[in-house]
Amino acid sequence: MNSSIFLLITGMAVVTYIPRAIPAVLIEKMKFSPRMEKFLRLIPYTAMAALIFPGVLTVDAERLSIGIVGAIVAGIFAWRKMPVMVSVAAAILADLLLYIIT
Amino acid sequence: MSQKQQYLMGVRAGIPVILGFVPVGIAYAIMAQQAGFTTSEIILMSITVFAGASQMMAVGMYVQGASIVAMILATFILNLRHLIMSTCVVSRMKNEKIGRKLLATFGVTDESFAIFTTEKEENCSALYFLGLITVTYSSWIAGSAIGAVASRFLPAILSASLGIALYAMFIGILIPNAKHNLRLGILIALTAVVNSILTHFIASSWALIVSTLVCAAIGVFFVDLSKQEDTADEQ
Repeated sequence: MNSSIFLLITGMAVVTYIPRAIPAVLIEKMKFSPRMEKFLRLIPYTAMAALIFPGVLTVDAERLSIGIVGAIVAGIFAWRKMPVMVSVAAAILADLLLYIIT
Repeated sequence: MSQKQQYLMGVRAGIPVILGFVPVGIAYAIMAQQAGFTTSEIILMSITVFAGASQMMAVGMYVQGASIVAMILATFILNLRHLIMSTCVVSRMKNEKIGRKLLATFGVTDESFAIFTTEKEENCSALYFLGLITVTYSSWIAGSAIGAVASRFLPAILSASLGIALYAMFIGILIPNAKHNLRLGILIALTAVVNSILTHFIASSWALIVSTLVCAAIGVFFVDLSKQEDTADEQ
């Protein structure tokens, strides 16, 4: 194995694990106010929203339609209360069809 | 609930992620291979780092001739969001030994975080989370290995279509929550808009962190979350 790549991988592993592990060590010492607790409970929703937009538009950087159609199909299935797995499969199939017919 | 049941419940919750992680793992491995990484280096990075976006970014920077320090620093910045996510995850594990928490937090990713923190509170435990990340971690490694070994046998349109999977998963989790809570839906839309605007002015990893935190802080003042647990019941 190339030693500079080994160094890169080791460094990446360390700097990625540290932010993940800090709360495991410190959380017992933290006491959250109700407002702070609400803030923490809202983060999943805002984080997912930020992860989706605008990233979903660049699924295929050359074809905006791939991201848009996939997202809309997933949205429709989710709206109809389908299991997450079904929404995911439907979005993949829709994009596959779009690639085939265009 | 027995320990085994808690663990298996997490495993089941992780199954949709397979559809997302295997293809993204394949995409990462193909990129890394083209950049000149060997099969063992590609797989070792997935085993030790376990953070898809930063692995792809590092590989991309490597091609452009970036220094090792720059790549490690970029990885750190991109993955700082895990600090917030891990805090949310750990705060849902009550009365757990620190060893279990340290093991569990290695598996904090956008996906495991999203599933765990929108699960019903009473189902959450370190064992549930360990079951969940057993599935996500092994599908990430499997995807990377498949990509490194067999990329040339996969049809291009299939790997391209699989790129939508992770986004579809987030949409699948968010929509039912937003549907039952108009104000939460408004907050979600606001965050999407804020992040889309910020991305034009600052690096997208910073835009993600800033818009997540700022919008969650705004949400504290107008979103009512007391109904949210009922939504989880119906799913």
